[in-house]
Amino acid sequence: MTMTTIDRPKPASSHPAPDAQPRPAATAGLRAALIDRASLIIPCVMLVALLALYGTLREGVFTIDELNLDTAAAMTLILAATGQTIVLLRGGIDLSIGGMISLGTVLAATRFGTDPAQATAWAIGIVAIGGLVGALNGVLITVLRLQPFLVTLATWSILSGAAMIILPTDGGSLPAGWMRFGFANWLGLSSSVWLLILLLAFWFWFKRTRLGISIRATGSNERSALLSGVSPLRINVATYALSGLFAALAALYLTTQTGAGSPTIGKDYILPSVAAAVIGGISLFGGRGGLVGTIIGAYILTIIGNLVFVLEISSYWQPIVSGIILLVAVLASSIAEKSARRSLT
Amino acid sequence: MTELLTATAVTKNYGGIVALSRADFSARAGEVHALLGENGAGKSTFIQILAGAVRPNGGTVTLGGQPYRPRHPQDARDAGISPVFQELSLIPDLTVEQNIWFRREPLSFARTVRARALREATEALFARHQFPAIRPDQELRRLTLADRQLVEIAKALSADPKVLILDEATSALGPRETEWLLGLSQGLARAGTLVIYISHRLGEVRQIADRITVFRNGATVAAYDTKEVDDETIIADMLGRRMDRLYPERKPTATDRVAVRLRGFGAGHRLADIDLDLREGEVLGVAGMQGHGQRELFQALFGIGGARGTVEIWGKAKTIRGPRQALTGRDGLALVPEDRRNHGLLLSRSVRENLTLSVISRFTRFGLTDPKREAKLVDEMIAALKIKAGTPEQLAGTLSGGNQQKVIFGKMLLTEARILLLYDPTRGIDVGTKGEIFQLMRDLAAKGYAILFYSSDLAELVHVADRVAVLRNGRLGAVLEGEDNSERQILRAAMIERAA
Repeated sequence: MTMTTIDRPKPASSHPAPDAQPRPAATAGLRAALIDRASLIIPCVMLVALLALYGTLREGVFTIDELNLDTAAAMTLILAATGQTIVLLRGGIDLSIGGMISLGTVLAATRFGTDPAQATAWAIGIVAIGGLVGALNGVLITVLRLQPFLVTLATWSILSGAAMIILPTDGGSLPAGWMRFGFANWLGLSSSVWLLILLLAFWFWFKRTRLGISIRATGSNERSALLSGVSPLRINVATYALSGLFAALAALYLTTQTGAGSPTIGKDYILPSVAAAVIGGISLFGGRGGLVGTIIGAYILTIIGNLVFVLEISSYWQPIVSGIILLVAVLASSIAEKSARRSLT
Repeated sequence: MTELLTATAVTKNYGGIVALSRADFSARAGEVHALLGENGAGKSTFIQILAGAVRPNGGTVTLGGQPYRPRHPQDARDAGISPVFQELSLIPDLTVEQNIWFRREPLSFARTVRARALREATEALFARHQFPAIRPDQELRRLTLADRQLVEIAKALSADPKVLILDEATSALGPRETEWLLGLSQGLARAGTLVIYISHRLGEVRQIADRITVFRNGATVAAYDTKEVDDETIIADMLGRRMDRLYPERKPTATDRVAVRLRGFGAGHRLADIDLDLREGEVLGVAGMQGHGQRELFQALFGIGGARGTVEIWGKAKTIRGPRQALTGRDGLALVPEDRRNHGLLLSRSVRENLTLSVISRFTRFGLTDPKREAKLVDEMIAALKIKAGTPEQLAGTLSGGNQQKVIFGKMLLTEARILLLYDPTRGIDVGTKGEIFQLMRDLAAKGYAILFYSSDLAELVHVADRVAVLRNGRLGAVLEGEDNSERQILRAAMIERAA
């Protein structure tokens, strides 16, 4: 197989980033165009470099099989980070996804049973709970005028406790058919890859809807957006409901991989979901970035894990390297942003 | 003609501060109606009420004979009232066209925005009103302030409003765009729109307004036809008194002691070979056409960007490395910056915090602040400068422009620095506050402060400064004093090569 298969996120570099609207480079030249897209180009370069390194260390990195494997490994994070991306674009942050993921897995592991109809009903129920909890976050943030950080910290704690009550230790069971999801294959691509394609389709639709634009606009300049008729309650409810919904989806996906529920597993996704988004060029101040960047960020974090594994070094190196990558990505795009501002004045 | 918009006894309080107290306003369809008043007179509050951004505490507004009570900016837009805010309502990360049609985008069957229809609507709007060229696909944060103002105007016009409100819309525009906007306002009025026009520039008001309403201290004090009133009457109504003297008496207070001595001073490629002495008790004016080095002079003195040559402060050679060093102590320098909203103030912080930010060490013991001493200093400063704030805890961003500038002055004075660098300190400030600031400058000079004062308004330099240093092409063109300190001589020195 060739480079083109594994470099699936790469087409993004030739596309305009979700945040970078088509901006002909005629006036400012190539340099300005590059600086403009730096926050997406930098993670692309990093991913390519990591893949190149990974490819020299192991056979068969540039194959569809590897793509299927890596996507399966990254998908829970990608789903969690999708919700986080929407919240970050709004200028907020959602820590409660940790609790929601835990709660989702324990509910699935204890309530699905063996009857497919019952499992389906509960799966839908879990997603609905995710949406409702998120909506509640949005209501609290708006009505009580509290910091998203504090509100979602509280709901995270509450949801984690609920998960503990339902299932105090890792365990439970899931229907055999449910766990076969990850092995499904169509046209050579695994179900995870198809899920990713579906997610991208959702994103390219969503970011062009009025809601998608309004969320980004509110994150870019809240006061201006409100003056233009955006309702703060509606925008916050929609934003955090989507985040909770994607956290629930992440939980369901995770159970297809692990085959069990865990009341503590969710916390492993809170900060990585933020890190994936930030590595992918999402601004913590809201308004800038897109899901393509986040997905690349999630792949970068996953490949780092793979590298640590093949290098046979202590797995404690993984968070260290992830942290360094995060710093480099943030630093690089901040430098690019500064020089963009300088070229303006 | 009947009245389209009437407001009766409209009142608005912010905490203890009365922004509007029983203000009346009445305007017809098809006229340009100017709304005048000093900063803090209540104009901004009034139009925010019309725009649905602020809800009044009392009074009634009718639009077309019907009661008008917008609860939200959207209600105002639905009723046909489009405001062009001084504080822009645009989104930095959206494109020009996304901004103009925000929340009103043409949607496809999949509920997504139709890009082509958006572009066509934008181009049609620009063509209809003969807008100066702006690329519709540019992100807003890439645009200059003037272009953003144009986008804001386009956004307001895109709704085909019955009432268009222009709040200081020309203050960010160049002469050509201003001319275009004045023509546009008149054209819209002729076509039946009510244009409410707010400006500090009486010339523009004279040119296009049919009628004028004047606010003072939150109340309506006068309303007249433009043709029937002279400028003096308008100014007197705005101030509440005849303005006998804008400029204070100027007694020479300079001593022989040199506060700042510059020899061969320069910065970047815009400023070089400056030999200049600023003396204790002196107001030294700086003049020059835009871009001839005055900004670089102030910044280099304050430690922003590198500097060349020698600087002596109070007789001691100094290298100023950065704002922190420039600020320190009684031998330091303090700056009133050009862009006060962004560089001089923390708008979301209180008046107290803004005042004491640079001087926290003055009432800190063992790393803890002493709130009593802080409160005392703050209260004294608020009283001395007549800062109009409800409490010291009022947010700086909610003050009028003139009061914000006073807070910056207060912050600067608290540093105890006795060398003050004032860069266009009266820009966009009402006449009354201008007068207070000039008086303050002369008072400070009399106390031994040394003041370097740049103004884009030459009359201010002529009347307030003891001497005026004129910059041309980044060099010292002339230093004028006495008889020679006149607008004519300053312009000559600024524009014409020195003979010989």
